[in-house]
Amino acid sequence: MTPFQTPSIDWAALSPELILLGGAAICLLVPLFLAHGWRRHFCAFVSMGCFIGAGAAAVALFQMDETGTSVVADAMRRDRLAELAQVLIVGSGLLTVGVSYAYVLRERMGEYYTLLLTAAAGMCFFVAANDLMTMFLGLEWFSISLYILCAMAIEEVASLEAGLKYLIVGSFGSAILLFGSAFVYGATGALGFEDIAAASGDADQLFLVTGLAMIIVGLGFKASAAPFHMWTPDVYQGAPTPVTAFMSAATKIAALVLTMRLLVTAFPSEENLWTISLAVIVCISLAWGNLGALVQTNVKRLLAYSSISHAGFLLMPIAVGTSLGGRALLYYLIPYAAMSIGAFAVVGARERELARPVTLDDMAGMGWERPGMGAAMTLFMFGFIGLPPAGLFIGKFYAFSAAVDRGWTWLAIVGAVATAVSVYYYLGVVRAMYFQPAAVRVAPAGGSPPRELALGTSVVLAVVVTIGSFVAAQPLLDIATDAVSFLSFPH
Amino acid sequence: MPGPGVAAYLILSVILFATGAFGVLIRRSPLIVLLALEIMLNAGNLALIAFARQTGTGSGQIFALTVMVVAAAEAVVGLGLIVAVSRRRVDLDVDKLTTLHG
Repeated sequence: MTPFQTPSIDWAALSPELILLGGAAICLLVPLFLAHGWRRHFCAFVSMGCFIGAGAAAVALFQMDETGTSVVADAMRRDRLAELAQVLIVGSGLLTVGVSYAYVLRERMGEYYTLLLTAAAGMCFFVAANDLMTMFLGLEWFSISLYILCAMAIEEVASLEAGLKYLIVGSFGSAILLFGSAFVYGATGALGFEDIAAASGDADQLFLVTGLAMIIVGLGFKASAAPFHMWTPDVYQGAPTPVTAFMSAATKIAALVLTMRLLVTAFPSEENLWTISLAVIVCISLAWGNLGALVQTNVKRLLAYSSISHAGFLLMPIAVGTSLGGRALLYYLIPYAAMSIGAFAVVGARERELARPVTLDDMAGMGWERPGMGAAMTLFMFGFIGLPPAGLFIGKFYAFSAAVDRGWTWLAIVGAVATAVSVYYYLGVVRAMYFQPAAVRVAPAGGSPPRELALGTSVVLAVVVTIGSFVAAQPLLDIATDAVSFLSFPH
Repeated sequence: MPGPGVAAYLILSVILFATGAFGVLIRRSPLIVLLALEIMLNAGNLALIAFARQTGTGSGQIFALTVMVVAAAEAVVGLGLIVAVSRRRVDLDVDKLTTLHG
């Protein structure tokens, strides 16, 4: 009998996840020994340190890895695609810490930061997945953390409802993904992405195609692409605003990067199926997201619909299946994540001032009352439309040109029409802030809380990334090109 | 005497999956919905194990073991949330969870 051999584990490749998990353990245990008043500050600073540390580890790995390698018995990839995505995820986490600092959940701030760190760790694990099992495990790892985070404000019925809805719909999506994975495994006898591609030639096509379709549906749920988006508005509205900010940025990064990796590495010979089905999902997301946003009055809900439509814009470069598309996706994610967190942070600040959910009417006069926040929100709204000086201008340009380059001019036209429709509701927010007379408001009992420095810093950082990605577009595009260079795109 | 073949297990897993999916879509009690979700996950497990037998590879069985752990964690969170909701409201009915709508 041969001795049992455990696979060698590349600890360096896992370092971002391990740093985040270490921080999670500290945030869970150490506050028990601290005075009440210190817990919140302690956990925030530990989380901040861990996000910076994990980011530094991912950047160092990015510098080291000229070519990608499979590690931990081929279950994970150590390559620039994963590392760039990890940098973006921990960056989102860092901004979220700033947004969360003002947010007080009476006894549970330790748990809050613990779950934020585990969710980010799960996403870092997920984007590096190289077989179906690691993918499912990573997906559930960060999803379960997010379910609890959504329900974290258990005094509020809306938050509980958001958590329960997200759990039910999210698990439904995961179960579909699992069943699809089982079919792909049955057809090819393999779980590894490359092994699936190698075995797909003589695989049972019925099982393989059914499995692929179910996997796309399962990932569509996570990316909140229509028609699998129905949970998004409710969950984004009901969840605590810092959690919404984190989810809207980091979950999208993780789900979309992994969707691209999976489809390109594991299913290159089925590309004629998945490119067109993703294109259909793009069209539905753009239509549903933008039309749904037109009638919203709650600002968080409006931004949720905007996030559905951006799932469409982000899936477009994946759908075209070219390296130009891959580059466009990775570049697009940088300003999108910053703007998304920034916009929710501004809403969170307003929510704190008014001590109630923010509607469009509540934004009235904010541009004059809080010039800094107002200017930042205006930048984010113009940026979401795709106007300079936000990096999304270049992101959208590359996404559309990737579609045209593939010969799918119609897809770029759909995107352009969707952008035109979106002008209405994005400018609606700006109009409310500057041109709508402010209603006479009763200040919340005890007066409005003081301005929050950490939240402001996060908004400033988001503005810097948004404009910085426009100014420094070329270096970022080069980094994105590097990250996708080893993927063999079907077109 | 040989038992039922792999195909029979696959058919059963598809039936279980469909049962679970219908349960999630039409039942109103969050508890039953959670139960239906577990049935869906376990249908996936059954399919994985049947395919592991068919293809003669072990990885499907390991995958199924992992899924069991994940399903347990998910059930814990789900039940916790349901308890928290039921403390706030007397009647448990997903159709009445309509604080959020638009």
